[in-house]
Amino acid sequence: MNTNKNEKFNATMQSNDGTITVVLSGELDLSVAPEFRLMMKPLVEDSNHDLIINLKNLKYIDSTGIGILLSILKARHGMGSKFLVEDVPSQIQKLFDMTGISKFFATKENS
Amino acid sequence: MNGEAVQKVVISLPASADYVDIVRLNLYGIASKMGFSYEDIEDMKVAVSEACNNSVLYAYGQEDGTVEVTFEINGDLLSITVKDEGDSFDNLTAQGEGSTLHDKELDDVQIGGLGFFLMQALMDDVSVESQAGCGTKVVLTKRLMRSEEMV
Repeated sequence: MNTNKNEKFNATMQSNDGTITVVLSGELDLSVAPEFRLMMKPLVEDSNHDLIINLKNLKYIDSTGIGILLSILKARHGMGSKFLVEDVPSQIQKLFDMTGISKFFATKENS
Repeated sequence: MNGEAVQKVVISLPASADYVDIVRLNLYGIASKMGFSYEDIEDMKVAVSEACNNSVLYAYGQEDGTVEVTFEINGDLLSITVKDEGDSFDNLTAQGEGSTLHDKELDDVQIGGLGFFLMQALMDDVSVESQAGCGTKVVLTKRLMRSEEMV
């Protein structure tokens, strides 16, 4: 279905020197959660790479999206593999702080 | 502004995740017309989406259904009512109320249950009416804070 969103969700992957970075843009909500979960699964399970999710261009996240980040965090923590969330926009950081998820994220500082 | 009548905008949507962004777009239009700040509008977008998500996820099971969203503009108050006619989500309020991850260890964290907390944290007032078989009504209210020169 095409709802002609201006802020359509998109995730692009970059691989560099043992690190996979997934750059998110648009709105991460319930409607795109299944495809995002599916796309992330093999990356999360790959213990040979560090995993970074970059939120610089993410416009919106709901509790479903926060839940996915949490489940990635738990999985990577269980495997003993590195997982970072970077460039968190202030509005989204506010939600992370409010829900208490921030303390679990190793975040790279915005430069 | 005395005696100003309550103005209503009502939209009815399929109870599907694909339409929740339409509610956000309407909210944005109405709240910015009222003069809400960017930050308040972003907060309300999250809260209203969480209410809609609950209807989409829990109200109708596998069946098709409708979610009705009513925006009520009453002076400086914006109330948003999200209503479905499906099963109630008593379980949601029971499991989710006031629960955050602040006092939890990662191993104890449950995925989910944050939606209701976010609604409460981001709005001035939240009420949930839910009756078995009669659907659920969530009313979210936020007051417009006027800047001083407007007083």
